[in-house]
Order: sequence, then C-alpha cells, then structure tokens
Amino acid sequence: MNILSLLIFLPVIFGAVILLMPSAWRGAFKYITLLATLLQLGISIYIYLNFKTGAAFGGINNESQFQFVQKLPWIGLNLGSVGRMQIDYFVGIDGISVTLLIMTALVMVIAALASWEIKSNLKGFFALFLLLDMAVIGVFCALDFFLFYLFYELMLLPLYFLIGMWGGVRREYAAIKFFLYTLFGSVFMLLVMVGLYLSVTDPATGNHTFNIVQMMNPANYTNGAIFSALHQQTIMGMPARTVGFVVLFIAFAIKVPTVPLHTWLPVAHVEAPTPVSIILAGVLLKIGGYGIIRICMGIFPEVATSGAFWLGLLGVISILYGALNALAQRDLKRLIAYSSVSHMGFVLLAIASQTAEGISGAVMQMVSHGFLSSMLFFLVGVVYNRVHDRDIYNFRGLGSVMPKYTVFVMIAFFASLGLPGFSAFVAEAFSLAGVFKSPTVNGLLPYWMAVCGAVGILLSAAYFLWTLQRMFFGTPLFKGGEVWRIALQDINLRETLTLVPLAIMALVLGIMPSLVFDKINDSVLALVSFLQVK
Amino acid sequence: MHDLSPYLSEQLTSIWNGIPYFMPEIYLSALFIIVLITDLLFGKNSEKLCRIIAFTGILLVAYKDIQQYSLASNEEVQMLFNDMLVFNRTSVTFKLLIDCVSFLLLLYMGWDDKLSAHPKRLSDLYTIVVGSILGLHLMCMSVNLLAIYLSIEMVSIASYLMAAYRSESKFSAEAGMKYVLFGAAASAILLYGISLLYGFTGTLNIALADFGTQLAMVNTTGIAFAIVLVLVGIGFKLSFVPVHFWVPDVYEGAPTPVTAYLSTVPKIAAFALLVNFLPSFIFYDKLAVFDFRLVLSVIGVVTMVAGNFAAVSQNNVKRMLAYSSIGHTGFALMAIVTFSPQGLASLIYYLAVYALANIAALVLATYFANATGAEKISDYKGLGLKYPVASVCFVIVLISLTGLPVSAGFIGKLFVFSAVYGVYETNHNVWLLILLITGAITTVVALFYYIKIPLNLFLKKKDSAIPVEKSLNKVLVFSIIASLVLILLGIFPDYLYNWI
Repeated sequence: MNILSLLIFLPVIFGAVILLMPSAWRGAFKYITLLATLLQLGISIYIYLNFKTGAAFGGINNESQFQFVQKLPWIGLNLGSVGRMQIDYFVGIDGISVTLLIMTALVMVIAALASWEIKSNLKGFFALFLLLDMAVIGVFCALDFFLFYLFYELMLLPLYFLIGMWGGVRREYAAIKFFLYTLFGSVFMLLVMVGLYLSVTDPATGNHTFNIVQMMNPANYTNGAIFSALHQQTIMGMPARTVGFVVLFIAFAIKVPTVPLHTWLPVAHVEAPTPVSIILAGVLLKIGGYGIIRICMGIFPEVATSGAFWLGLLGVISILYGALNALAQRDLKRLIAYSSVSHMGFVLLAIASQTAEGISGAVMQMVSHGFLSSMLFFLVGVVYNRVHDRDIYNFRGLGSVMPKYTVFVMIAFFASLGLPGFSAFVAEAFSLAGVFKSPTVNGLLPYWMAVCGAVGILLSAAYFLWTLQRMFFGTPLFKGGEVWRIALQDINLRETLTLVPLAIMALVLGIMPSLVFDKINDSVLALVSFLQVK
Repeated sequence: MHDLSPYLSEQLTSIWNGIPYFMPEIYLSALFIIVLITDLLFGKNSEKLCRIIAFTGILLVAYKDIQQYSLASNEEVQMLFNDMLVFNRTSVTFKLLIDCVSFLLLLYMGWDDKLSAHPKRLSDLYTIVVGSILGLHLMCMSVNLLAIYLSIEMVSIASYLMAAYRSESKFSAEAGMKYVLFGAAASAILLYGISLLYGFTGTLNIALADFGTQLAMVNTTGIAFAIVLVLVGIGFKLSFVPVHFWVPDVYEGAPTPVTAYLSTVPKIAAFALLVNFLPSFIFYDKLAVFDFRLVLSVIGVVTMVAGNFAAVSQNNVKRMLAYSSIGHTGFALMAIVTFSPQGLASLIYYLAVYALANIAALVLATYFANATGAEKISDYKGLGLKYPVASVCFVIVLISLTGLPVSAGFIGKLFVFSAVYGVYETNHNVWLLILLITGAITTVVALFYYIKIPLNLFLKKKDSAIPVEKSLNKVLVFSIIASLVLILLGIFPDYLYNWI
C-alpha cells in the first residue's frame, strides 16, 4: 500500500464507517473523525520526515524526481483513430506539495476539533467532512490532470452541503454562489484539460495522456496540436496557449480568490460554520495558489512569464483592495475573510516575480496563512458560539473578561500582521524580497508593486490593531449586557488544545523557517530554472 | 405479377438470407403477440403474467442482440430485405442499449401508484411497450426512406397511446391529444420531405450511390427544402429546438413512467436513425449545398441554450426534467456533428448514461410522489432528512445529469468533448468551438436548476412533520443500484465503453 494513497483514502474509509454506524451512536462520530484526522496527521508527519531533499529530488517537470509515487493504469480506452486514452492513477509529491500536505493535515485536525459546535445531523456532517478531506489531500497529490480534476470537483459538493445545511441565515445563497462560481471556472478548465490531453502524448507509450509532468515538456506535444508550443495555433484569433493559460488561471484565481473574482468568499465565510470556514480559508484557498504554480506555470511557462506583470498587478490589487475592505468591516468574520483576500494576494504577487525568493515566500505564505487563518476563524467561532454575534462594535473590553482568549487573539493578530518572529513575517519578507529582486533579475515586475505590497502590510497592521483596540481593550461593555457577560466564558480545555498547536506552529515557523524552506528549496530552484529555460 | 416472376426467387433468397440477422426482431414480434394474447385471455388478472412475460421476453431479445455481435462488424455492412434495413455493429449496439433501457422501463411501469390505479390495469401498456420496442429496433436499422417512415410511425402511434394511457385524467388526455396533433403534423412533414426526395432521385434507398448522383443534379433550394422537411420529422422525435414545443406539456402530463419512456428510448432510436441517415449525405462531395455540420451545430447550440435556460424557471419536477432533456439532446447533437467513429462511440456512451440517470431521476420523482404526493420542487422542502437514502440517491443521479465528477455523466461529457476537440484540431471549424463553449456554459446553468432539488431536500427546512415511511421498497432498491452504477461507471468507464 502506497503511503500517499493511504493518506488520501483514509478519511473515506472512516467516513464509510460513520455512514454504516447507527445514528444512536452519534456521539462517537466526532471522535472517529478526530481519530481519522489525527492518523492522517501522523502519516503526513512520517512523510515529511522521510521526504528526501537534494538536487536529485527537485520534482516539478521531472517525473523520476517525485517521491512516494504510485502510478497505476486506471482507464485505458481504445479510441480508434485518435489512439488510446490513457488515464493513470498517478500520485506523487515534490517540495511544493509536501509542506502543503502537512499543513492540510494539521488544519483538518483543527477543523475536526472545531466541529464540536455542530449539533444537528452529525452523520451527514462528518461523512461530508471526511469526503472533503479526501478531496483536498488528493488535489495536492495528484499528478494526473484527470485525477486532479476529479478531486478538484469532488470538493464542491461536500462544501455546498456543509455550507448550505449547517450555515447561517443566508446559507442557501452563500452555498449556491460558491458552487456556481467555482463550477464556472472549472468547466472551462475541463475544456482546456481535454485540449491538453489531445495535444500531449506520452513518449513512453505513445498514447495521449493526462500526465501533468509530461504536459510540461514541449517535446511531448504532437505537431499541429492545439496547445503545441512550437506551432502557434490560434483560438478565435487569440494565441491558443494564452487562452489556455488564462482559462486555467481564472479557474484557480476564483479559488485563491483574486480580486475581482473574490465576491463569493466573504459570503461563504460569513455563512459557513466554523469548521468549514477553517477548511475554506486554511486549505481551499491554497489549492488556488498550488494550482497556479503546478498547472498554470508548469504547463504554460512562457505565457506565465509574458503575463507576469498582469499576475503581479492582480496580486497587488488583491492585497490593497482586500486590506481596505477589511478596514471597513463591522463583522469580525468578514474582516478576517477580507484579510485572507489580502494575504493571498501576496502569494500571487510573489509567484509572479518568478524568483527563488518570491516562490519560496509564496509557498511559505500559503503554509503560514493556512495556520493563521484557521486560528483566526476558530477564534471568531469561539465568541460567536457563546453569544451568537460577531459585530465588532457590540464588544468592548473582552480582554478583561476572557484573558486567555485575548492572549491567543493577540498572538494570531500580531502573527498575521507580520510581526517579526512569526511565520507571516518570514513569508511576507521573502515574497517582497523576491518582488524587489525581480526588476533587476528578470525584469518582470516593476518596483512599485513591491512598494504597494509593503503598504498592504501596513494596512493589515492597521485593521488588526484597530480591531484589537475596539474589541479587547477598555472597560467591558457588551451589547447583550450582563447576559453576554456571563455567556462569555473564557476558553475551555478543548479550545486551548486546538489553539496551542496553531500558535506554536506560527511561532516555530517564524523562528525556524528552515522547517519549510529546506523541504521546498530544491523544488523552487527547479521551478525557477524551468521557468527560465522555457 | 408477370414481370416480377424472374426476380421473385432472387428476392425470396434475399429475404431468406436476411432472417438470421433479424432474429431479435422476430423474437420481439412473437413476444408482442404472446403478450397481447395473454392480455386477451386473462383479462384484468393478466397484469402480473404480462409483466413476467414481457420481462423474460426482453431479456431474451437482449441476449439475441448480444449474439448478433459475432455477426456484426463495422467494416462489413450487411443490407437486409432488399436494402430496407442495415445491419452493422452500430445498429446492434443501439438495439442492445434500447433493450436494456426498455427492461428498466418495464420494471418501472408498475411502480407508479397513479398509473397502477388505472381501472384497466397495465396489461395493455406492456403490450404497447413491446410493440414500440419493435419499432425502435427498426428505427435503428432503417436506411430506406419508407422503412424510416414506417418505423417512426410505429413508435409514434405506440407513444401516443402511452401518453394518453390514463385517459380519465384530464392532464394525461391533454398530453396525449397534444402529442397526437403535433406528431401527426410532424409525420406529414416528414412524409412530404420523403416524397420530394423520392421524386428527385427515383429511389427510396438512401444508401444507394445512385441516390447521391441523382440528388446532386437537382436544384439546390429543392434539396435543402426536402432535407429540412425530413430533419423536422426526425427532430420531432429527438425534440431539438424548433420542434421541441410539445415536450414540456407532454412530459408533464403523461404518467411518470411514460415520461421516462418518452424521454429516453425514442430519443436513442432517433439518434441511431440520424446516424444511419447522415452518411449518405455528408460523405458525398457533390452534395455540398446542404452543410449538415453547420445546420446541426446551430441546432445543437440553440437547443442546449433554450433547453437549459428554460429549465431554470420550472417548478414542476417533470417539467424541469423535460426541459433538461431538451438540453441533453443539444449536447448529444454535438457528438453527432463530429461525424467520426469516436464521436459515435461517445454519443452511445452519453446516451446510455443519460438514459439511466434520467430514468432514475423519474423513478425517484415517483418515489416522492408515492410517499408524499410531492410533484413540485417546492414540495420537496425538508424531505431530505426524512427520506435520507432516496434523497442521497437523487443527489447522485442529478450530479450525473449535470455532469460533475465522480459520475458517469461526467465521463460522458468528457468523451463528447474529446471527440469534438479531436475533430476541431484537424479542421478548425469555428462552430465546433462554439459548441464546446456552449456545452461548458450550459453545464453551469444545468447545475443551477438541478441543484434546486437537493436545495429543497436538504437546505430548506419545513416545520410540519410528515409521517416517515421506513420500509425499503423496490423503488428505493432500484434507485440505490442505479446510483451505484452511475458512480461506478464514473470511476471505471471501461466496463461500458469497451462494449461500444
């Protein structure tokens, strides 16, 4: 049994167990889910520890350099004149995926712990939760485009129900908006995927293939194929490869989300229950960033380079627009949702720089944001569960009512705004270093973008500190009066246990960023040199 | 008579030689007569008997189809009965598909409470269905204009009877009446087109080389006019856009199992007919006046758009599925316009999966109608938690109809897209690209209306408590099996595809 496959399918096995158990045992469901996620975390730590580094394990466009690979023939159809259709079950990881995997596994544990607040339809909730878990892990491991797409789409339905059934007042609207938005991106991705599949042949077997790694090699494209790099085909007058890149980019930009395709995110976050918010912000947004690195840039490197300015521009707009929106929010959860838009903008900007520092920073930012946004959403959930309100102006002086809680809030806020010593600082520093380096090294991005990114950090300090001042300082005063004051108990043991590992991760990654950088370095260098060769 | 005598022995030999290739149809004819006689002999009590006979008979016919695979190859086309019918691998596959789907339909006929409450019972219905299957078989094999017309009429007449089966219900009677009127008009138009073609060429056999040469000499407007008329006739059965207007009313008014019948098998047979009909025209160079690819592409785009967008505003489940089936026709037309073997294979896969999912959806509609009387989508409010198994099956079926992974419907879409892309790569016909894009956009639209059912089942809450029926009945078992098959075919499409 391949350990990656085990990691992917472990949750479904537990999900099936939950489905088969009688509803009378519903109290046990959350423990089973927690067990599944903990096992998953254990496996991913094992993978992390056994992940080999070195120039021979760069991955990216070199199939033999991927690790923990499992490749099984899956669908092989004889299509007559078009040749054989070859779809493999092909999973494997390189430096880019391994850190995201371990981050996902930890976030899933946190989300499972946050699921204690779910009181209705436990069977359905945990079964969908575990299905979603399988899909997100699968996306990070899949190296066959078909498999990737399968997992990518498989996330939508569980999320639709998770938001729609256990969400807030406007949950129906939020769920359908999320679903339609993402599907809109992904059906066009399907078209590009089919086009790529028909353009690429596997040199080993001569069949058309969905293998992502083979798609990165221009030599594998058949002559005259629609996405062939050598033959400049056009689609309705536009260069085919540019169209392909843009379509894929839109699909992933919706996930990231990048302004102006972000409008589903605040709605979905506000309506989603806490564990789903955690998964959304912690993991799903990273799939967008991961997809841009692995698929958009991997398959269409020359378009990514020529369009780098526009990617960077979108990144800068997301940073600033997200931050300014966050400043204007009254709802704490909305504020954090917009801060996610802003922080994910750094990922896009740093990727666009195409420097080693920038891409390292982007991956680091994804990992760091995974932990921090989970922490932030969990913290919002704590208050919301107690008084069912999260309007910033309805609280004052929480600091003296819930001191332990406030400590974690301060850690999360300061870490998020990029205080040195925390992970986000390292991530943003590297991202901006990469962007500052870009004008002199490859001339893709102008200096002012880096400056704007720095302004974004300043704005994030502004909204976080302002929120801290409004909600936590001063004399206690609540909209709900004495009732709220009694309800606002300080955090209990379970909540502390959930928050501590996240806080530790934020701190540890800030002090020892090498935990991430060592693992990703070879892949980042391989990617950068791959992008330069084209 | 005197003139014929020298040819008589030749003709008889031709007929005699054709018989081994005609075994499933002979079995069907026998089955039809047996079911009819059983019905007459046993009267009202014959329902169960008729049902059993029809089942076993269809299974036998399907077995005969499978046997025919050894006779059939696509390189060697066999003409039967003086070039009336064609026998090749494609037609056998289509027939097998029709028989399998018919088997499911026969199974389903007895499950609808409203239909079963019919005073005459269902024996007649089984007779009609078996008779119509014979017509469907012939549709799959016809290459002679007369055979085309006769087989279409055979199916049509059976369909009229079925649509109006519950004649005491106003709705059903109205549906039947509408269907007859529109159907008669369509037949007349088809016949007119056929007579024009016959007049132009002097032959009814479209597979004949003479047919093309003769036709090429005719005034181009005349050809175009005749072909459009014939297309209208076939399109009526396919329900593509300019001739789709009967679909919503008839599907809504007809008893649900009949809707399942109407929305699947005649459509499959009509596609088979189109597949047999087109090659005589498109592979003949001189006949460039009528661009089938262009016409069918435009029809496909319009059908997809119209069907899917119209479905969005529907509240009746059957009506919504009716519009969505129009959309599916448009999508399947996309596979037709490739005119390639791969396109044909993807068409068959798509139709097979569509038929299974559509029947399953209507079976589930029956389940909810039987259990709670719900017919509108808004009646489904909050039922998801009371009937969890059926509702989950419904979600899976709708996922497959939408074409999302992991489901057979997704794979079907993928095959069609690949087939169209493959052709686009070689000829860069902009219409193929437009078809692809329309197909993608309408998928999103389709999600928007299909998801309304899960939305009402699970997301909306209802206060009033409805008595919950816990029993695991056969309708539910069918739905569970259908859903599992749809998922399995989504993960391992090889099993089905390698048959095609």
